[in-house]
Amino acid sequence: MKLTPSVLDIDFSEAETRICRFIKEYVEKAGASGIVMGLSGGVDSSTIAALASRSVGGDKVKALLMPEKETFSQKDIDDAKTIAKQFQLQTQLCDMTEVLEAFYRGIPAFEPADRICKGNIKARTRMIYLYYYANQQKCIVCGTSDKSETMMGYFTKWGDAAADIAPIIDLYKTQVRKLALHLGIPKELALKPSTPSLWPNQLAESELEIKYETLDLILFGLERFMETKEIAEQLGIELAVVERVKDRLLATEHKRRLPLGPKLGFRTVGNDLRLPRHNY
Amino acid sequence: MKNKIKLALCQIAAKREDKAANLTKFEELTMKAKEQGADLAIFPEMSLTGYVLHDQIYELAEPIPGPSVEEVETFAKKAGLHVIFGMPELTTKAKATLYNTSVMVGPSGFVGKYRKMYLPTHSVFEEKRYFRPGYEPAEFQTQIGNIGLTICYDVFFPEVFRLPRLMGAQLIVCISASPAVRKSYFEVLTAARAIENTCYLAYVNLAGMQDGLQFWGGSRLVGPTGDVLAKAKYDVEDFVLCDVDFGDLRTAETFVPTMRDLRPELYDKLKGFSEQI
Repeated sequence: MKLTPSVLDIDFSEAETRICRFIKEYVEKAGASGIVMGLSGGVDSSTIAALASRSVGGDKVKALLMPEKETFSQKDIDDAKTIAKQFQLQTQLCDMTEVLEAFYRGIPAFEPADRICKGNIKARTRMIYLYYYANQQKCIVCGTSDKSETMMGYFTKWGDAAADIAPIIDLYKTQVRKLALHLGIPKELALKPSTPSLWPNQLAESELEIKYETLDLILFGLERFMETKEIAEQLGIELAVVERVKDRLLATEHKRRLPLGPKLGFRTVGNDLRLPRHNY
Repeated sequence: MKNKIKLALCQIAAKREDKAANLTKFEELTMKAKEQGADLAIFPEMSLTGYVLHDQIYELAEPIPGPSVEEVETFAKKAGLHVIFGMPELTTKAKATLYNTSVMVGPSGFVGKYRKMYLPTHSVFEEKRYFRPGYEPAEFQTQIGNIGLTICYDVFFPEVFRLPRLMGAQLIVCISASPAVRKSYFEVLTAARAIENTCYLAYVNLAGMQDGLQFWGGSRLVGPTGDVLAKAKYDVEDFVLCDVDFGDLRTAETFVPTMRDLRPELYDKLKGFSEQI
């Protein structure tokens, strides 16, 4: 297999059809009245906004804009509003600053300089807002995780990955950008650098130390059981880069599964108690 | 052929995805077995790589013979010992077709292998997702006796043990990766397989924990009348030496002569009915 950017080309019309059908059926079978989602103004949530709107109608999609003081960006708010308007979503602005500061004050061991621990509070607080609205309005929470971030474990456990459905979890970031363009999302937003917004000026590619164009091809190769040496040779990059990606993929499997427990019984939740998702 | 041999039941907690570490442990215990007068060192199922590997198995499987088997051959020759261990085997005829295999190596090199016939794919097990089943029973006539090879879940199927016994095996080695919830079954079935075949049965299980599965250890040598002649500790690594006296088979065979009383004609019926379940 030749690892060129074209291997990531898919039929985006078909992808749109399949994802929209999935969302629509899930919402109907769940008996939910609609969808709640977080809208940051980034490419993943913008893409989900478009897909959700086309699946169930914008009037049934509640998009929460959840800024907070430290990472506040008027540009992001404006981008989110642009998307909400384009796809006719219902929006709710939730400034998380007071809640976050209450957490900071209320946690005895809180260390402001530890930006990862602090940032994870932000991601988990967003999750609390999303589920509050979903519970209250009998909606499901639609996640915005993509395949690149999920495979790399580049998310907050029980934070931004917590959702009822994850419609773009099988699309790499570069594929999401192309799907976004296909869906009519403005080019500026589709190609906007990604950030989890856990601290000011955080950029995904800087933190991961790799461009998504390269990362996605490495992950594509690993997904297909290609050897790291072959991937590195084909992409003309150092083996250490590919090994680092692979190590991270393996090391973060715990983030993608239910918590592990000792096997004691006949069938064990999260292991061999395997049931169909009721009605879905 | 020797009439009496000494076994070393090497009940290890294999380190997952670390063949080098496991080979080092194989060598250390093989040398220890040699120092203590053993003729055969036995390691558990998939002990070269660890058992719970999921999709990583494709990176770890090797041809047999292959690099890891050659390493075992090197220290088996050095020790003058026979060694049995388990590993994922990559067939040389395809790129990703695997077997769950038990390998036997002796002082003169590679002796033979057995590809697991019954692959558990239920409960916590997903072996058919990765492995092709074996088709051949395995019995090897060696300097230390006629030895049959089986693996773990095979123990639930009497015919897998009957076949090597009928081929001449007097000691059947069953290597295993059995989690704790199956302990009581294996304790009964290992004795049953020995009694019904009037032969020795050496059972060597993994210890330690992998992905939440706690391997219960409890490796043992069962005599031809079902007596547990030696037993390793439960759950933790252990090293147990035990003696096999092939002369005892005569007594067992005269006491309960199952080999004499076999009814081959029943096997045709067994085949017919088993095809109609």
